[in-house]
Amino acid sequence: MKLKFNGFLVLLLVLMAQLTFAQERVVSGIVTDNTGMPLPGVSVLVKGTKSGTQTDFDGKYSINTKPSDVLVFSYIGMETKTVSATSTNTNIILQQESTALSEVLIVGYTTTNKKDFIGSIKEVKAEEISKKNVSSVTNALAGEVSGVRVINNSGQPGTTGTVRIRGFGSVNGNRNPLYVVDGVPYSGRIESINPSDIASASVLKDATATAIYGARGANGVILITTKMAKKGESYIEVETKTGVNLSLLPRNQTIKSPEEYIGLSWEAMYNKGVILADANPVNYANTNLFSGSGIAPDYNIWNVNNVSELIDPTTKQVRAGVTRKYNPENWEDYAFQNSIRTEANLSMGGGSEKSKYFSSIGYLNDQGYSINSSYERITARLSLVQDVKEWLTASTNIGYTMSTTNQGGQSEDSGSVFWFVDNIPSIYPLFLRDANGNIPNNIYGSPSYDYGETGRGFGGLTNSIADAHYTLEQAKRQEISTSSSFNIKFTKDLNFETKIGTQYWERKFDNMNNKYYGPSAGTNGSIYKTDTQMFTYDVLKMLRYKKTFGVHDLEVLAAHQNNNYQYKFLDASKSQLALPLPEFEQAAVNIGASSYTDNVRLESYFAQANYDFDNRYYFTGTVRRDGSSRFLNDKWGNFYSVGAAWNLTNEAFMKDQTIVSNLKLKTSYGLTGEQDGVGLYPGYDRYNTETGAGGTPSFVFSAKANANLTWETSKMFQVGLEFGILNNRIEGSLDFYNKITDDLLFERRVAISDGYALLNVNGGQLRNQGFEFDVTGHIIKGKNGYLDLTLNGEMLDNKLLSMPIDPATGKEKIIDVQGNYGRAANQSVYDFYLREWAGVNPANGAPLWNQYYNDVNGNGVVDTGEGITSMSIFLDQNPGSESTIKKTTTSTYANATQKFVGKSIIPDVRGAVNISGGYRGFDMSVQMLYSLGGYAYDSAYAALMDNRQIGNNNWHTDIRNRWQQPGDITDVPRLSSNQDPNNSSASTRFITKANYFAINNVRLGYTFPKNVVENLKLSTVSLFISGDNLYISTQRKGFNPSSAETGASDTYAYSPLSTISGGIRVKF
Amino acid sequence: MKKNIIIAILTGLSLTSCDKDYLDVQPTEFVTPEQVGGVSEYDPAILNGFLGGVYSTMYSVEVGGTTGDDDFGQKGIDIYTDMLSGDMALSRSGYGWYRTLTQLTETVDFTRNSNYIPWRYYYRIVFGANNVIKAQGGNDADPETEGGRHALGQAKALRAYGHFYLQQLFAKEYIANEKSVPIKLSVDDSALPRSTSQEVMAQVIKDLEEAIVLLDGFDRPNKTPINQDVAKALAAYAYAYVGDASSLAKARDYAKDVADNSGATLLTSAETVGGMNNVSSNSWLWAVDITTDMGFDLVSFFGQIDYYTYSYQWAGDRKVIDAGLFAQIKPNDIRKTQFNATVAPTNSLYLIPYYKFYDPAREVAGQRYISTDICHLRVEEMYLLYAECAAKTGEETQAKTYLKMLLSNRFANPADYAYLDALTGTALQDEIYLQTRIELWGEGKTYLALKRNKKSVTRGTNHLSHVGTTMQYNDPRFTFSIPQAEVINNPNLNK
Repeated sequence: MKLKFNGFLVLLLVLMAQLTFAQERVVSGIVTDNTGMPLPGVSVLVKGTKSGTQTDFDGKYSINTKPSDVLVFSYIGMETKTVSATSTNTNIILQQESTALSEVLIVGYTTTNKKDFIGSIKEVKAEEISKKNVSSVTNALAGEVSGVRVINNSGQPGTTGTVRIRGFGSVNGNRNPLYVVDGVPYSGRIESINPSDIASASVLKDATATAIYGARGANGVILITTKMAKKGESYIEVETKTGVNLSLLPRNQTIKSPEEYIGLSWEAMYNKGVILADANPVNYANTNLFSGSGIAPDYNIWNVNNVSELIDPTTKQVRAGVTRKYNPENWEDYAFQNSIRTEANLSMGGGSEKSKYFSSIGYLNDQGYSINSSYERITARLSLVQDVKEWLTASTNIGYTMSTTNQGGQSEDSGSVFWFVDNIPSIYPLFLRDANGNIPNNIYGSPSYDYGETGRGFGGLTNSIADAHYTLEQAKRQEISTSSSFNIKFTKDLNFETKIGTQYWERKFDNMNNKYYGPSAGTNGSIYKTDTQMFTYDVLKMLRYKKTFGVHDLEVLAAHQNNNYQYKFLDASKSQLALPLPEFEQAAVNIGASSYTDNVRLESYFAQANYDFDNRYYFTGTVRRDGSSRFLNDKWGNFYSVGAAWNLTNEAFMKDQTIVSNLKLKTSYGLTGEQDGVGLYPGYDRYNTETGAGGTPSFVFSAKANANLTWETSKMFQVGLEFGILNNRIEGSLDFYNKITDDLLFERRVAISDGYALLNVNGGQLRNQGFEFDVTGHIIKGKNGYLDLTLNGEMLDNKLLSMPIDPATGKEKIIDVQGNYGRAANQSVYDFYLREWAGVNPANGAPLWNQYYNDVNGNGVVDTGEGITSMSIFLDQNPGSESTIKKTTTSTYANATQKFVGKSIIPDVRGAVNISGGYRGFDMSVQMLYSLGGYAYDSAYAALMDNRQIGNNNWHTDIRNRWQQPGDITDVPRLSSNQDPNNSSASTRFITKANYFAINNVRLGYTFPKNVVENLKLSTVSLFISGDNLYISTQRKGFNPSSAETGASDTYAYSPLSTISGGIRVKF
Repeated sequence: MKKNIIIAILTGLSLTSCDKDYLDVQPTEFVTPEQVGGVSEYDPAILNGFLGGVYSTMYSVEVGGTTGDDDFGQKGIDIYTDMLSGDMALSRSGYGWYRTLTQLTETVDFTRNSNYIPWRYYYRIVFGANNVIKAQGGNDADPETEGGRHALGQAKALRAYGHFYLQQLFAKEYIANEKSVPIKLSVDDSALPRSTSQEVMAQVIKDLEEAIVLLDGFDRPNKTPINQDVAKALAAYAYAYVGDASSLAKARDYAKDVADNSGATLLTSAETVGGMNNVSSNSWLWAVDITTDMGFDLVSFFGQIDYYTYSYQWAGDRKVIDAGLFAQIKPNDIRKTQFNATVAPTNSLYLIPYYKFYDPAREVAGQRYISTDICHLRVEEMYLLYAECAAKTGEETQAKTYLKMLLSNRFANPADYAYLDALTGTALQDEIYLQTRIELWGEGKTYLALKRNKKSVTRGTNHLSHVGTTMQYNDPRFTFSIPQAEVINNPNLNK
């Protein structure tokens, strides 16, 4: 047996040797660049072997090959070229590298490069990230990637924007993407990663790219890779930035003159008198302007004896010559400040044969423009990669962050500084006034704030600016995340890798209300504290086999992963303060305490195979099985994806043309899962434990179980094209996708009489279709200068193909109304379902809405029982009645018909324009964001156009267009101090076009010439100034649809801040 | 090296799968029936928590399914109905709570939360009660243990309380064959159609009669659980609402039974202005001892009503007695001093109930966390209801006797209420109705009396809307609309 085998082996070796000897020959030629200049030092390698050579000074080379060999030509800054060694004289032209194409990409659990990647990925490099003065990398992604939306919800420093990738992936389930930091799914806070530590952030959009993350990849994946030094370098880099934060974006335009405000108020009272059929409406207004049904008499700030001396009834305005007792402050002057942002980062890196490291320390102090809002952060990072043994590579990456956030005046109630600034009538002073109009001092010896104790009709008994000064609202967070991996090489081709990632943070929040003023003065102050801790670990074990067989590259991997997320919450409060210190020992009376621990676990098995043939045809396939602890009976889901790409550039028939320099077609299909957004324990009936009578525990029903709830599955198909034209002068990508989400995690409303309102179910089907484009033109590409223009964007279509089944009928649910939106089959998840505004009755100024009615008897008037309140329900219950439905107007809001009004929040196209250029040492860039089409609900404007009791709220300047006398044609109804209570109730009146154009970032930089710098023994010195969030143009000043997912405005919103800053970066 | 590799592989393989129960996690933020069931094997008393939870629902925030500051259980609904009936006037509005309700534009618009909140709340109570009934063996069960009978009795009374209020709020009036609201008798029922008023009230009365039997001998640990007296009082209200002669007789007898035998006594004159804030009050039959560890603050009954609590009454949303009703309170009536008439009528504090409901410390805006107690039923109601039903069933002398027993604690001098002796017929009934409105102002009972007695309302001068307008008890604006969320999500509603 042994002999026999040996004989066979010998025979085989002989045959191979003969073949080899027979065919070996020399291949030679010249390597040049595209201008014909010879390139010395180009590496020429026989693919899959170690045999190779370099070109000489004249670009010449010669190498021994076999005809089946493939030669690889590579040179720094040039694109690597692979050719078959068929001809003995092979001249090569290397193209200048389009950096984007040959960079190493880390995708899922493999590394590849852009050229070879099948899916949709967009990488945002450190240089792009560092252009923007943001505390969170997420915010730096705005405008960089088509199909990715970054929503800047708040100007509070240290806030991470909300990211949405490719539409609205779910109805009620999670829509957040998965973050993966250095290969570990990340549950920590994004803002605790210092953006200057980040080498790149990549966005994965399609199924082949995200399927490997199956469990949580359905809404896209954002890969964050932190910096690491390269082999053979050693550097220190210092960067400092200083800037100012401003409130540059426009705010709502409101009535700022107390005289104008009081004139409008008088007119409202006059109209009220008319509506109440008072015999003398002038007298009625004079009597009631300052009264219980009007404005509190103490806020009559004018030197008059009575209202008739104040207001001229013919003009309905303040009489000339009337003087004020005092000038009420403009609250905005005291609410906002110009504030400083400073940032400093120091990083060091080095690499030798066996090890590489990166370490950094960063400091950020970011003051918001609203008082008592700030973010201070210290970050430190250490990464180390070591080739410990020939068979073992180990790496460790540790990040530590400590931050302090002050968030005064941002509660969504009367404590909101923004609500006050935009909504308080201009007659009300910030500071208290005595009978003579002087400001008394408070106990601290500074001016006393006016809490409205004499009957201020707006924000009675509160003063958010005072509270923002008096109240401590501070969160301190410590966060540490680690990623450690061990890579064991069994053979050259087979390895085993284990990666353990942990994230831990603790957030301690202190809220101390002042003992003497504000909300807790009645209890001599109060302290509220929360202590929140999050701990997640993720363990991955993976076997990988990777081998090149001639022109075949194959990689196969199989892995197991488990993830454990734990969240601990504890809060307590006490009142009756001693010293003004936020510690419980300084307070006397216990109020209450609570604590709990949440836990979510995931377990996954997955395998992937990647194959390419001759760098022309690429295939990938992934299978994955995921289990989630969220589901009770049906924990496991199976997911897979397949993808293929064809790189036409490497085809022989493309060799002889010079127009198309890069062309790749790709397609993929895959299933990904979603399990988030349904709470952590939806399989159980849930009861809250409350303090029952007598201090015993009582169990209050809170939510109904669905034990059979399981994974939501998205099936995404995509085709895409990557191209480069004219030596990559114009390059870009186009993608079309069709994503159908099945078994939607749907919070289905049930009959309220069942005893609960909502039930989490899997049901219905949602389709997101989109087209994404990203095109860059290198307009100028010269030795001294360049100019690039990039346009990217997405077009999106969203539609519910079907609704969940309603068990009461066994059929699909007709409609689910959630706020201003109706969910129904063949509508998007954000189609407005509202009453239609029909303008103002010119005869009397009353508001009008459309009322639809089923005119069964054909008499053209709404008879009893003919009115339709909710169109979708009516049509379902009265099929075939369309022909008899008629429309009229009504001034009774409750009679108006709710219906789909044909508008949705989904824009036609949305994206960014990026311009960047440079000349010698100077570089500049501008980023602009745009969105066209689509609508949003402007509720902040609605509040400012309301017709509440006078003194209750300020008005938008558009109130100047109100109806004033019979015959006036206007869209703004009469003012009547709440006699028409529904002027601002939800209707199409406040649906506003959500188009916007914004200048997101402008930067100008200068890098000193090498020779100057080298004399200083430095390697790089650059200076820059930049501005973020500088300008926005929208339908209405103050309306910023880019700051909310639905575009809707919010009275309490901290409008995003603008930053202008300058800095210097030195590397040595 | 080979050896190391083998060790590594073995380690790797041993880690490749998690424990079978790795994906089984249990909540700690709340409890599940499975968890409680496990503990009940050695601690059966823990199951009482489910019944306790139904009572907690009665005074917890957001039980109407909203985050509104007017959504805090029964007392929140009491404010709604007091404002609809007009005896509670909103005389000043700053933050806007209740403003559109008092304009009477909310109840007729089924998209408004003020319709959703009571509907959601009472069906939540019914659901909770049905849950307990199911655990005790169902509607027809006859539990063997005393504890089981008492639990079942309470649950049936709670279910009746829920259905009774639904009928009151969502049916214009008691018209036997007119569709009213769905009757839910099981947690497993789903999307049921509306029943008639007659069917609803028959079920309410059946549940209460059964509860009265089951609750025999129930000695409750505090005033929160429903005992037999409370069940009888609820039955008295239910019968009086149905209002036919035999029902009125039953209502009269139950009311008298509770007035005479519950052991509760009428508030003295001094207690009448004592703040209505303490569960130990001798007149309170069904009440809750609110403690600060329950965690209530401005979103609460005292928050909305009490000037001495840090909340809306103080901050400018003024709830006051209707000026017309106040004018009808006799000068020597101690109840006249429950309301602030020491300031000018133009002052926004005029007629606030600053001596009816208050935090004992009486420090303006002083109560930040609520420890003042709330009352759902007090014995005066049974004196008044007895007088009302007695008067309607021809027992006028008895009616006057019981009314006088109450008034003797409200007037120092009997001469001040001697006028009662002369009253008969409608005049007597009207007087009893007036005394009910005065005595129970702000306690959520006037609306029931308005509908029961089929009266009309004329709003006084200190309202912000509809001043001087007279409206009938069955005005559609006085009846809540079945909310949109029910109409949309219950396709069987009108079947």
